[in-house]
Amino acid sequence: MTQKELHIQRLVKEAEEQVLQMNTRRHFLKECAFGFGSLALGSLLQSCGVGSSSNLITHNLFDPAHPLAPKLPHFAAKAKRIIYLHMAGAPSQLELFDYKPELLKLNGQDCPQSLLEGKRFAFIRGVPKMLGPQAKFSQHGQSGAWVSEHLPHLSSIVDEISFLKAVTTDQFNHAPAQLLMHSGSARLGRPSMGSWVTYGLGTENQNLPGFVVLTSGGKFPDAGKSVWGSGFLPSVYQGVQCRSEGDPVLFIKDPSGMDRDLRKASIDAINKVNEEEYKEYNDPETLSRISQYEMAYKMQVSAPEVMDISNEPDYIKEMYGVQPGKACFANNVLLARKLVEKGVRFVQLFDWGWDSHGTDPSLAIDLGLINKCRQTDKAVTALIFDLKQRGLLEETLVIWGGEFGRTPMMENREGKQNPYKGRDHHVDAFTIWMAGGGISKGVTYGETDEIGYYAIDGKVTPYDVQATILNQLGFDHEKFTYQFQGRPFRLTDVSGRVIEEIVG
Amino acid sequence: MFAGKFKKTLLVPLLIIAGTSVFVFSTGRQKIDFSTQVKPIINKKCITCHGGVKRESGFSLLFREEALAKTRSGKPAIVPGDPGASEMIRRLHLKDPEERMPYKHQPLSDDEINILTQWVKQGAKWGEHWAYVAVKPVEVPKAGRNLFGLLPADKWEWPKNDIDYFIYDALQKKDIKPSPPADKAMLLRRVSLDITGLPPTQSLTTQFLSGKITYDILVDSLLASAHYGERWTAMWLDLARYADTKGYERDAGRSIWRYRDWLIKSFNEDKPYDQFLTEQLAGDLLPDATNEQFIATAFHRNTMTNDEGGTENEEFRTAAVMDRVNTTWTALMGTTFNCVQCHSHPYDPFKHDEYYKFMAFFNNSRDEDTWADYPLLRYYNEEDSIRRINVVSWLKKNNYGKEAHEADLFLRTWQPSINSINTDSFINCELSDTKWLTMRNASHTRLKHINLDKKTQLMFRYIGYAANGVWTIRVGSKEGPVLKRVSIPKTKGWSIMKIDFPQQAGVHDLYFSYSNSTLKTPDASGIQFDWFYFTTPLPGKGLPGYDSTAKNYWNLVIKDVPGTPVMMDNPSDMYRHGYVFERGNWLVKGKEVFADVPQSLNPFPKGAPHNRLGLAMWLTDKRNPLTARTIVNRLWEQLFGNGIVETLEDMGSQGIEPTHRELLDHLAYRLMNDHHWSIKKLLKEMVSSATYCEDSKVSEESLEKDPYNKYYSRGARVRLSAEQMRDQALALSGLLCEKLGGPSVMPWQPGGIWLSPWNGEYWKKSEGEDQYRRAVYTYWKRTAPYPSMITFDGVGREVCTARRIRTNTPLQALVTLNDSAYLDAARHFAYKLEKENIPGIRQKINKAYEQTLYKPAAPAKLNALETLYYEALRSFKKDSAKTCEMIGENNEHNNPETAAMVVVMNALLNLDEVVTKF
Repeated sequence: MTQKELHIQRLVKEAEEQVLQMNTRRHFLKECAFGFGSLALGSLLQSCGVGSSSNLITHNLFDPAHPLAPKLPHFAAKAKRIIYLHMAGAPSQLELFDYKPELLKLNGQDCPQSLLEGKRFAFIRGVPKMLGPQAKFSQHGQSGAWVSEHLPHLSSIVDEISFLKAVTTDQFNHAPAQLLMHSGSARLGRPSMGSWVTYGLGTENQNLPGFVVLTSGGKFPDAGKSVWGSGFLPSVYQGVQCRSEGDPVLFIKDPSGMDRDLRKASIDAINKVNEEEYKEYNDPETLSRISQYEMAYKMQVSAPEVMDISNEPDYIKEMYGVQPGKACFANNVLLARKLVEKGVRFVQLFDWGWDSHGTDPSLAIDLGLINKCRQTDKAVTALIFDLKQRGLLEETLVIWGGEFGRTPMMENREGKQNPYKGRDHHVDAFTIWMAGGGISKGVTYGETDEIGYYAIDGKVTPYDVQATILNQLGFDHEKFTYQFQGRPFRLTDVSGRVIEEIVG
Repeated sequence: MFAGKFKKTLLVPLLIIAGTSVFVFSTGRQKIDFSTQVKPIINKKCITCHGGVKRESGFSLLFREEALAKTRSGKPAIVPGDPGASEMIRRLHLKDPEERMPYKHQPLSDDEINILTQWVKQGAKWGEHWAYVAVKPVEVPKAGRNLFGLLPADKWEWPKNDIDYFIYDALQKKDIKPSPPADKAMLLRRVSLDITGLPPTQSLTTQFLSGKITYDILVDSLLASAHYGERWTAMWLDLARYADTKGYERDAGRSIWRYRDWLIKSFNEDKPYDQFLTEQLAGDLLPDATNEQFIATAFHRNTMTNDEGGTENEEFRTAAVMDRVNTTWTALMGTTFNCVQCHSHPYDPFKHDEYYKFMAFFNNSRDEDTWADYPLLRYYNEEDSIRRINVVSWLKKNNYGKEAHEADLFLRTWQPSINSINTDSFINCELSDTKWLTMRNASHTRLKHINLDKKTQLMFRYIGYAANGVWTIRVGSKEGPVLKRVSIPKTKGWSIMKIDFPQQAGVHDLYFSYSNSTLKTPDASGIQFDWFYFTTPLPGKGLPGYDSTAKNYWNLVIKDVPGTPVMMDNPSDMYRHGYVFERGNWLVKGKEVFADVPQSLNPFPKGAPHNRLGLAMWLTDKRNPLTARTIVNRLWEQLFGNGIVETLEDMGSQGIEPTHRELLDHLAYRLMNDHHWSIKKLLKEMVSSATYCEDSKVSEESLEKDPYNKYYSRGARVRLSAEQMRDQALALSGLLCEKLGGPSVMPWQPGGIWLSPWNGEYWKKSEGEDQYRRAVYTYWKRTAPYPSMITFDGVGREVCTARRIRTNTPLQALVTLNDSAYLDAARHFAYKLEKENIPGIRQKINKAYEQTLYKPAAPAKLNALETLYYEALRSFKKDSAKTCEMIGENNEHNNPETAAMVVVMNALLNLDEVVTKF
């Protein structure tokens, strides 16, 4: 290390300490400054519970100079990181996990009025026909979980998984339902789960973003970037989209014509001038700017490195079924593993194309869905297996699911027969599964009625799923709040229960 | 010096002792102040269980009448004047945590108990939070000046205007000295970035630095610049949640940029702030509202519209109305009102039903979450505008005043028409994609509650999918008498038809049927409706000029012209009733409510109409405690980095306490009474203060005693806003296009940013100078905003954002280092430099530095940049391909020297000094 580098390093370290001290002090004072004025300092110290174990996370603990520094949760965590696989469009539970032989018997019959009364559907009008399961089912593993023939790979690892079969929501359109699932509100403007988590825990590798988003299927999820937005949290907590085509992270690549050495020289020059400025103006913020440029330089190396799947061994590539150079789900799943391995806190995947209405072949409940399963089954299974063989599964929570379920009736858009077999959006029952991160193995929780229309037992909501995810990360979802517009907000809004039944 | 130090060390402990004793005595003898002493304890320790959402044991501390009422035990918990008989006070003293209050929490301190006891003893009087009390004139603490003169170390005359006395007063209490004035270079850049959002022009720079013009004249010139309006509009757009798309899933485009241009013009004209708000809230309700006044109301049409198929339009209409309520409070009155949506405000004096009374001001507006965003203000070209005026004047001339008004409104807005989404009872037909009524052969539907009084004409907008359709309108039932039978031709897209029908008195349900035997399949659509307009034929038939007037009128009606979403109320026969939503759920309607304002604030102005216009009058009434304070606080934050109340969005009792409450009140009072709501005058007063002009150098003393510059012991240092970042880079490089206004533009952005489902729109890079417009003109897509601006803390604009939270992250460094837009700026900066014919590399770099920071670079800084230049030069000389790549164009600049200079300019644009306003 050169003299110059040593000097910068020292400066940066000093700056970090200084800023941290100040911020701690500032937040402490802010939290205590309840209009008493400085005279009442003594009683304030007391009322703020100095020395007690009151958890600081419940306050807006945000250090603008080190917003992503690792932090501790409320209590000891089972999971340290999250991989959330969201199948955007809402996969059919009736063709994948929720086996309903009775529905097959009703196939082609008019839907009874009792199921339609007082219901709002996105597209079904008048009296639709019932549609039997468009797949064969069998039981797998020691747990005997039902999985359809569409997911031959996943069937082999059901004993690692806990299924929630009676998830319900109250949003029957994609965008609001996705927002509800990821931000706890059907409206835009709330922070997404990944933002909450990186706000609360920071991240372990400062050379990579803490919250990474990967999309596949050719489209963004319906709610767009808002599903990984930071809402009212500082924008530093929004998801950073990494791409398998183009720059892996926006603006990560040096401009053409500028090689690494020249970039290094240029960042050195910038930081040298900034040091001079610091000598002149003495503003600690200048020092954090210096450290941000150092980090940017490192991130330029580590992000493309981790985003490059070509250097993975062939058997791994084969296991996931990746297609190097293309933007596809399998590539993203492998990337997710690489990212969590490198200390990224929250990896969010969205795969578009699960909206099996039957309006065209790719969205048919038979061919279209089978195709989506083929694109994903192998990779998802490989992920669980691979995390396990690396000893990462215990501390990595993997969640798979959509934003709602699909109707046991065949969709008849505007009262007409759709060109292909399809199912409409359904809010009353769908399946989500979780694995790793302290979740029980081989458990099925929740049950639907004979045709998979209503949840009849073990009903859970998106808030319960969120509460459980936060719980695994060591947060009490009722206490993990952010003060905004005069009140504490939380991911689970005003509800949510930790689903103890699947917590190991 | 020695004396000063001596004094300081002695004073500090003395102050603490004095402070403590005052505190103890004050609780014993002096009057307890509810707002500053009692309310904080209640908010922190009691209200979670006793007020707002929860009322444990039937006891609530939210309002006085609730606190003194009987609790579930049958007895009141507080007996004014008698702490001994007050259960609340008794419970505070107990030892058993099961009985003691706060329940199962740490007991209150003796001081806190003492305060509450004395308060009850003194009658348990409720006080009002400062922000809810009308602004009164404040005495300027000029005494500070004399005292200041007594201090030997400080020789200069610091205060320049009244602001400084308040600041000085507070500094003195903290024993901090203000900083000396900034040098001219610092001041020039600071004030220019603050007022116009851009670096100063060459000519202003020369004139000011050479002493040809004073600071005062500099400020006036900046305030007079057309760029002033752009800069303050950029601030307002976050409040107005302005975007060029509709939001939600499809997030399709919306043409509402005329509102943005209205803002620029209004700021530039220095439209008085009360009028500025009135037009945005109720421009449409002003007498003879002009197009501009209509456009102003687009403020509240920036709410999102949901185009996703299958969505309930009423749900999203309601969401938009609630958003208007929340935005009005957050943006204009610095108050969080949305809590009251579900329950009475837990901390501030607003009751649950008051939310819905307030919402009733907005609930009667014409918009219904339609795909087209109706109502739209239709934009005719000049020729057609004259035709429109002629139609209206012809009617007026012939004494058809009412009809003239109606015709005018219809031509300008196609209102009040009934959207086809209001049909129901569908047989064999549907709202297609929940957007338009679409009918097939042998289909029926109903349109409820149509007032046909005196109406004999129907205009409707439709698409005929097939020739020979027959549309039958019946009255009262599916089998009722035929009002009219209309034959429907095949059309090329949307069309408007006009039919006459026999007069029917009263309000009726209309039943529609459509038949067309030529349709090939039972599923085939025959007709699609957009809206229906029931009216009377243009009057004056037979009068001179009638024929040409009627012809012009019809041609204007059917003219396809661009439109901007605006606010408009329903006519009285289409009044939309408002209800309380139980626990905030729009599906569970409680009692009916009518437009009104919360009781705890200023009274509704006498004689004002109970509509948005009356609301605007109330909001801009000088007795309204919040409006002036909110804008003063916001402008202060823009200049000084933090608000006087740091939480711009909340001045209520949960917001952060103001650092200089009297100053806030003083400026609010001045704005209303001395400046007559002139924003420019208020800004001038602020930037003319010694406080604003302080040096931003951080002295040891200032850092130690005022680490966050809350007391303004030095000039503000903040990173530029997302908009300023872009604008500065463009201005410095000479690329900036100074064109004002017009549709939003699409400068370069990386591929793959826009991928909305069901939406064929794409980012089409603007041509020529439009690539280099100011950031305020960048096309803003809600679900995929311009990436580099988001990285610099820009906000999504889904809902109103009162304050951007500044962050400092490596991703920001990546933008300014690598984003092509910034590299482009670096290139053109280097080209510009070349043209200036400066001898020597060092001199060139120094010149660029000077053009950026208005003073020569320190030798050490120059050394670093010069070293970089030569390193870059070596690299480019070694590899000519790299030169080509760096220059990126095959042009005269394609040489290693220029390429090296591009690298240096890229570094220059990344300097902390350059990205910071200081």
